[in-house]
Amino acid sequence: MRRVEHVMGFPVSVRIDDEGFPEAPVDGFFAWLREVDARFSPFRPDSEVSRLDRGEVPAPGPALREVLALCEEYRIATGGAFDVRLPGRGLDPCAVVKGWSVQKGAELLSAAGARRFCLNAGGDVIASGGPWRVGVRHPEHADRLCTVLDLTDRAVATSARYERGDHILDARTGRPATGLLSMTVVAPTLTEADTVATAAFALGAQGVEWAAARENCEVFAVDAARRVLRSPGFPVAGAQGVAA
Amino acid sequence: MKRAIPVLVLSVAGLIPVWRYAPSHDTGSSSATQAAAPASTPSVSSSGGTTTTVVPGSTLDTEKGPVQVEVTFSGDRIASVRMLRQPDHPQTRAAVPKLIEETLQAQSADIDTVSGATITSDGYKESLQAAIDARG
Repeated sequence: MRRVEHVMGFPVSVRIDDEGFPEAPVDGFFAWLREVDARFSPFRPDSEVSRLDRGEVPAPGPALREVLALCEEYRIATGGAFDVRLPGRGLDPCAVVKGWSVQKGAELLSAAGARRFCLNAGGDVIASGGPWRVGVRHPEHADRLCTVLDLTDRAVATSARYERGDHILDARTGRPATGLLSMTVVAPTLTEADTVATAAFALGAQGVEWAAARENCEVFAVDAARRVLRSPGFPVAGAQGVAA
Repeated sequence: MKRAIPVLVLSVAGLIPVWRYAPSHDTGSSSATQAAAPASTPSVSSSGGTTTTVVPGSTLDTEKGPVQVEVTFSGDRIASVRMLRQPDHPQTRAAVPKLIEETLQAQSADIDTVSGATITSDGYKESLQAAIDARG
């Protein structure tokens, strides 16, 4: 079964290979993502995030608390390079909300009995079962890949500037992060892969080692000089005896 | 340099919680850190338009041992921060695996899906992922 819907401004593709898997849990998956968009979008004046930022709600609800705790964890871990509260800007937890919400959505599908499925939320991928062959977009050629990986029960996220320009700022300087062309992170969950990729991209060149040193994270980075740096455990397809 | 010193102090103050941060264990105790030796004399070198200044920070005694950083300024901007002294503690010995260096390749392959920077719904139509979804 395959479905594509657009939520939060990006396409979400679902492919479930389990025979006869029902539509209802997939409807639930997309309903959850739309609920997250309504509650956590900083672009909607009536969202919980916007109201919290304006001081109209005394305290965030449990889900937003969980998101904000993740934001704070990564702000500390990056020495302030990753920060959802930039001076002169409103609270913007988008960088954490995306991976977190899609990961929760994948858990809804697993709970409904899905075993072999692949989700792609605007370039962020969750592979359940596998192996799935996941290409990483080349940072300079939209129709080419810079590597292919075999992914089983893991997630992968890529941060780069080629789609939306200088949208990731190094909060330590307030300036766009430009040290890397692209940063791809494989982790057990998309919550971690997406946030680590964004935070490492904000850190720039030093983000490569920072991400590689994190437990369970594998990295594939392209620096400004077009040099590839990858961790030995990065699951490149057909290499290092990966089961095919 | 008058502006650089407060920035340095803030940097050191900022680094301590980062270094002290432990995800799950070591809760409770939060004994205060103490500033000890005063900062040494900064070294200044000038080339072309900008002045590069290297400032060794004060040694801070923390519960896990002394910490000292060195900050390099390019003009008024922090160019880099280096740890001069750090306690021998697992948390500060980041286990960075040996990274493999390769040249950037451009390839095509049969794949199930594509990871890339977040594409907007507008950009989706022309994306590789759209082609994969359409192929079914």
